[in-house]
This record gives sequence, C-alpha cells and structure tokens, in this order.
Amino acid sequence: MQVFLQTLIGGLSLGAIYALVAMGFSLVYRTMGLVNFAHADVLMIGAYAASTFYMSTKLPFAVAMALAIAVTGLIGLVIERVLRPLENKDFTLMLIGTIGFGMVLQAVAVLIWGATGRAVSSPVGGAPLEFAGLRVRTYDLVVLAIAAVAVVLLAGFLQRTKLGAAMQAVAMDHEAATAVGIHVGRSNAIAFAIGAGLAALAGGLVGPLLYVNATMGGAIGIKGFAAAMLGGCGNIPGAIVGGFAIGILDSFAAGHFQGYSELVVFLVFTVAIMIRPTGIFGEMTVSRA
Amino acid sequence: MTGLLRHPRTPRLGGIAVLVVLALILPYQVGSYTIHVVNIALVFALLAIGMGLAMGIAGQINLAQVAFFGVSAYATAILTTHNGLGFWPAAALALLASAVIGLLVGVPALRMQSHYLGIVTLGLALGFINWTTNAEIAGGAEGISAIPVPPMFGIDLSSEYLYYYLEAVVFALALLFGQFVVRTGLGRRMMAMRDDPLAAGAVGAEIPLLRMTAFMLSSVFGGLAGVLYVGLIRYIAPDTFSIANMFLLLAMVVIGGRQSLAGCVVGAVGLTLIREQLVDYPTYAQLGFGVVVVLMVVFAPTGLAGVPARVRAVVDRRRGTSADRAALRPFRPYEPGEEAAAQEGAPPMLEVRDVSKQFRGLKALSEVSLTVERGEIRGIVGPNGSGKTTLFNVVSGFYKASGGRVLMDGRVISGGRPYRLSMLGLARTFQNLRLFGELTVRDNLLVALDRTRTRAIWRYLLWPVGIWRQERRLHRRADALLERFGLTEFAAAPPGSLPYGIQRRIEIARAMAGSPRLLLLDEPAAGLNGEEVRQLAEIVRSIRDSGVTVVLIEHNMGLVMSLCERVTVLSNGGVIAEGTPAEVAGDHTVIEAYLGDSAMADMPLPDPTEVS
Repeated sequence: MQVFLQTLIGGLSLGAIYALVAMGFSLVYRTMGLVNFAHADVLMIGAYAASTFYMSTKLPFAVAMALAIAVTGLIGLVIERVLRPLENKDFTLMLIGTIGFGMVLQAVAVLIWGATGRAVSSPVGGAPLEFAGLRVRTYDLVVLAIAAVAVVLLAGFLQRTKLGAAMQAVAMDHEAATAVGIHVGRSNAIAFAIGAGLAALAGGLVGPLLYVNATMGGAIGIKGFAAAMLGGCGNIPGAIVGGFAIGILDSFAAGHFQGYSELVVFLVFTVAIMIRPTGIFGEMTVSRA
Repeated sequence: MTGLLRHPRTPRLGGIAVLVVLALILPYQVGSYTIHVVNIALVFALLAIGMGLAMGIAGQINLAQVAFFGVSAYATAILTTHNGLGFWPAAALALLASAVIGLLVGVPALRMQSHYLGIVTLGLALGFINWTTNAEIAGGAEGISAIPVPPMFGIDLSSEYLYYYLEAVVFALALLFGQFVVRTGLGRRMMAMRDDPLAAGAVGAEIPLLRMTAFMLSSVFGGLAGVLYVGLIRYIAPDTFSIANMFLLLAMVVIGGRQSLAGCVVGAVGLTLIREQLVDYPTYAQLGFGVVVVLMVVFAPTGLAGVPARVRAVVDRRRGTSADRAALRPFRPYEPGEEAAAQEGAPPMLEVRDVSKQFRGLKALSEVSLTVERGEIRGIVGPNGSGKTTLFNVVSGFYKASGGRVLMDGRVISGGRPYRLSMLGLARTFQNLRLFGELTVRDNLLVALDRTRTRAIWRYLLWPVGIWRQERRLHRRADALLERFGLTEFAAAPPGSLPYGIQRRIEIARAMAGSPRLLLLDEPAAGLNGEEVRQLAEIVRSIRDSGVTVVLIEHNMGLVMSLCERVTVLSNGGVIAEGTPAEVAGDHTVIEAYLGDSAMADMPLPDPTEVS
C-alpha cells in the first residue's frame, strides 16, 4: 500500500505537466481544428527560455516563467500565421506541416542554446515533506499548485470573458461564429498564443524535473497528445484527467518495468484508445472508421 | 495492354532504359565514399516507397516506418550474431517479423484515422526505440556489431561497389512491384479509400482489409530496407531508428510527393545526398528541411512529383484546351433485360420491415416498412429531416438499424457492411456527391467495376499475369461504360474539375459499374437544370428497363410524378402515405406534412415542376 501510494504521488507532478500540454493541444485543436505537432517543440523552447531567464539572467523563477510564456506566445502567433492556410483542412497536411515547424524549432534551439542541453536547479530547496510515511518533494507541490492555478484561470477566461465566449463559439461552428460578427482569425490567433503559453508553462515547470535539451519535446509531447486523446480530443476537463492518467501510468510502468516503461505506457495507451477511440469524455469530431 | 498504355502516368520506356543504363555504369563513375552514400540513399528510397504506399496511396498515417525498418534490421542482426543463423535465412525471418509487426501496428487503423493514428503509430515507434535501448539482446545503446557479410555465390559483398548492384536489383524489383500495385486494382482501391472511405465501401472495397494491407505493404518495404541496411553497414544502434530520422523520412516523402512512388524515391535520394553535402552542418540541414516541408505543405501539397501536373494545368488553362472543349455525349440506353417485370412467386427486391433508427435521444426512423417489387421505380419523398437519407444509410449498411430488418431479394441484409452489400448487388449514390476526387473519371469507374474480393490480392505475389489480364478486361469494360454514359471525353479528368451535372452522371455511372440489382439514388436531380433532369429521367428509365430495381429520394416533384410507379412519403421518421403519385399528391396527411396546416389543404397544389 505504501509503495502503491508513493508511486501514485510520484506520477502526479509529471501528470500535471502532461495535463498542461494536453490542455494547450486541445485548446488549439478545438478552436481551429489544427492538430499541432509542433506543440511539443514549443514546450522545449519554453523550457529553454525559462531556464535562460532563470539561470543566466538570475531573474526570479516566477518572472522567468512569465517572460518565457510571453516569448512562446509570440512564437505561437507566428506559427498560426504561417499555417493559417491549413486550418480546417486535410489532417495529413496539417500534421506534416506542424511536424516541419517542429523540425525548424529544434534546429533553432540547437543554434541558440547548443546541442548539449542543461540541467535546471529547483527553485525551491529543502528536504522532501513527509506525510504518514509518504515523501513528497516540495517542487512537486509547486508544480501541482501552478498547474491548478493555470486550469482555474483558463476555465475562467473561457467561461467568464467575452473573448473566451467568442473562442468557444468558434470552436463549435466557425462559420456561424463569423456570421455573428466574431473575428475568427483573431480568435484563432489568441487560442494559439494561449496554447503556446501553456506549453511554455509546462516546459518551464518540467525543466527542474528533467534535463532540458532540443529533443526533450519528443517523449513529453507525444505523452501529452496521448493524454489529450485519452481524455477526448478538444475536451479541457478530459485533458486534465488524461494528463494525470498518463502521468500515473508512467509512474507505475517505471516502477514495474524499469527501462521498458515507455514501451508499456504506449502499449497500454494503444489498447485503451482502441477500446474507446473518442476518449473518456468524447470529442466533437472523430473520423468514422 | 492498350488500355494501360493510354494511362497518362505510364512513363516512357525510353526514359526507363536511360535510367537503367545510368544505374549500371554509376559505380564506374564515382568514388568509394559516394557509392556508400548512394547505397544509403537506396535504403531510404525503399523506406520512402513503403511510407508513400501507406500515407500517399492508402491515406493511412504511418509514423512507425522507422520501427518496421528497425524490427527487420534488429531481427537480422540478432538471428545472425546471437542464434548463428546464416544471413539470408535470418533476413527471410526478419522480413516476416516486420510484416507481422506491420499488421499489429495496423490494427489501431481499424478503429481510428488521421491524427489519432499518427499519435498511436508514433507512440508505438517510441516504444520500439525504448526496447532497443534497453534490451540486452539488442545490445542497448551500443547496438550490435560484427554482423556477417551476406554470402552471394562467391561474390564479395563487403565491397560497397558490388553491394550496390545487389541493392539496385532489390530496389528496382521493389519499385516495379510498388508501381504494379499502384496502377492496378489494389492501388486504385487504396486510393479510393484515401479519397473517400465511405464511398469506397459502397462500391465494394473492403476497408478494414485494405487498411491492414496498406500497413503490411509499408512494413514489408521497411523490412527490405532493414535487411539491406544491416548487410551494408553490418552494425546497428538505436540512433538509426530515432524519431528524428522518422521525421526526416517524412520530409523526404512530402517533398518528393507522397502520392507518387517515383516522387518518394526522388525525395529520398535527393535529401540523402543533400544531407551528406551538409554533413558538417546538421543543424542547418534540419532547419532547411523543416522550412522546405512547411513551404511544400502550404504551397505545393503534392510535392515535387505534383509540379509537372500543376504546370500542365496552368498551361491548359491559358490555352483553354482539353476539359473545356470536351462535351458530354448523349446517354446510350441499356438493352432491355429479360426479367424487367416481377416474376410469379419471386420475393420482392427490397423489403424494409419495421426498421427503426435512434441517434441517442433522437428517433430518426420509427418502424418504417416498405416493399419494393422487382423492376419498380420507387420514389421516396418527404420534408427535410423526415428520415429519407437515414433510411438509405440503413439499407446500404452505413448505419446499423436500432430495430427491424432489411431484406434484399428475400435475403436478410441488415447488419451487413457496405462492401458486402455492394457484392450482393446493392449500389447507391450520395446526396452530396462522393466521387474519388484525386482519381480520374475512368479510375472512379474502374474501382467500382472491379468485383474481385480484396483477399484475392495473393495473386499480386503469386500470379501477377492474372492481375494483368483482369486489368485489360476492366479497362475494356470501363471504355464501354464511359461510352454508354457519354463520358468518354472526360475519362482522364479529375471529377472535381467538371460541372455539377456531369459529376452527378459520373456518380450514377459508377453505381451502375457494379452491375447492381438494386440501385438507390439519393436526390439525383439536385442542382440539375431542366434539360439535365430530362436526361436523368431517361437514364433512370433505361436502367430500370435493363432489369435493375430503382429507389430514389427526390424533392423535384415533377420528376417523381413522371418517373415513379409508386411513391412512399416519409414524415418525422415514419411512413405517412404510399401509393401512385396521383394518390399520394391528393392525400391530406401528405399535404399537411408538406404545408404544415390542414386549412391550406384545399388550396391548389403548386406547379410540381417548380418544387425542387
């Protein structure tokens, strides 16, 4: 039981990261029907930017994070502008186009930060806390808290603000949204910027947990996408549930299968998604098999 | 033969001869490093062909191609070094292994498509990489070295010059086989499935089997590449099968043109050579490839292979040739069939018994029953949303009925998949035209003319002559069908470029290509002008006279009144009236359903020809 709970807790912080990735991915997907494979590389840029501001320019962690979010938000706007002709079009082309963008971002990261990668020190020190014999790293709590705040802010934005409501409308029917006077292009751009910002947040937070390098997006990104699908593509609550599901699965697979954890995670994911292709909470559009 | 030679994509024999000669003398012209690069390029070209078959031809997103490549490479390496097998027996087993893995990776494609399939296949590829870096038998990060040189009747294959000839032969045969698949029935079916899986199912393509076939073809090409790679380098490590290389492969296929195998080869060879030129600047190479991929996707989605066609299209438009000047010829009626009328004691052609269809809370059909006799033309009318198309979708196997049964010619067909029903003699058209957009008009018909089961594809391996003969027969029949429907001059055009009326006629021709016994037409007159409607009536009558039973949904009351013997009226998912057109037109419930108010029932009906 002790081991079980410890493993469970171990999966929560990465689960929160996957949930952030999945949320950003889902937000873009449902607003403009764009499957953004470059999302993972935006995360990587965010991780590098945050670590640079935090470690090289010695800014406080929170400020570094905010700057990184702003930078990647701008990158998001650029990607959206370039790929705009592909929105709501052929999935295959979109997928390939965004993968191409991912290649560009990786190359740019290597040019700016070099190929070796870096370790990021944790912004909060101190020994792990102990509750009833379970050890919790303080930084894990920070990650969970920030992720929770992000979720609340995003939900509030989508439900309480006029701009958020407009984005919901575009997600449901972009033609009808145009007809009632919503600027769909602007709404899409904002969605993309927010998605990129969420990726940067995830990247900034994951920096101290893992090693930051140009190809770090690969595994995190694919697991984040898997989380989005598990919850139901385009579904925000689903993204959160899916994120934690993948994080916990990850943790248990690492505990039981050591080196083979990734293989196990993706096999389990494949079986799960085959049983329920629309995810736990369902999605708006799924191609009929 | 003539039919195939007329095929616009068949390259000139002279060009091929020049390429063969160049390939033969190539080793005499280049240094040892260059021949090494060429050998690598051929391996990538094989991988790219496999990828093109799955993604470009069959439309199945496959991001696990490096894993197929890796499975066979690792299998060969392990079987030779660990189990002491000879190179070629190990290679044969490795090919088998990658085919099996291909089938397993293809299983998710039965349940999901597009980006879902992309993530799942990519995830499985990551899983494979994870295995290679950890498994002791795979040598972990160090990989496996000291793989034996493949023996070949005393020819020393450790020489890269001689190895080149082995690769070139394997590559040429593989490309030939790939082209053979693409240009014959199997490839056409896969392309039809890519363009419109629903319509492909309706003309008899077994979608699940085709998807598995696509993955298996892809994995076998990947497997071949793996075997050749191991024999060439004789050392493998996980790096070769990384996600970065997967994306590089994707870039090759996209830049070359994923819908053309030749394009895939050009992309693979071109990018490999460029990458070798930039070997000291790998980051700039990646940056460049990424930028080119993005530009290609936005500006030239068909890749380099699509450029000649685009140029030709522009030139044609300037000169105003071909399609613009082509004219629709008149329809040549069918010869009347012998069993046009109902025979004594024979079961009705279509019997719908108490069929219901529920979409969650919404009841689209409730206990609909109707019987259509052999040789009848039956009209189905009703206000929008009354369940007409839902009924067609249930009858043709697209939807599963929530209750009730459908019988065709006395046989229960409800619950059957569309391709099964197509094989049994049911054909349909669609309200919003579902032609295969990237196939020519001729190929659209050829897909439907081909009545062989997909499982007959074993002949591709064991009896290609049979396939060839069948192609000639199919092309002859396609010519006859094009001629009958007056479409000969549009045979080589993509349907999307043609006027709406012609597209409607192509769809009817495609439905008739399967020689159905029962034809369902969903709003065949929608969008047609008066003259086209008149031609349509003539076509439908001739089809009926040839012995085919016709059921049509139509809003054009003039057409329904003049064409149909009996009319069934649906409203709110139920049958509210049935009878001759005159009986139905005078029925009070019908008028009420259409006009919504019984007080207006006494008013004169509007001129039926104007209702559309």
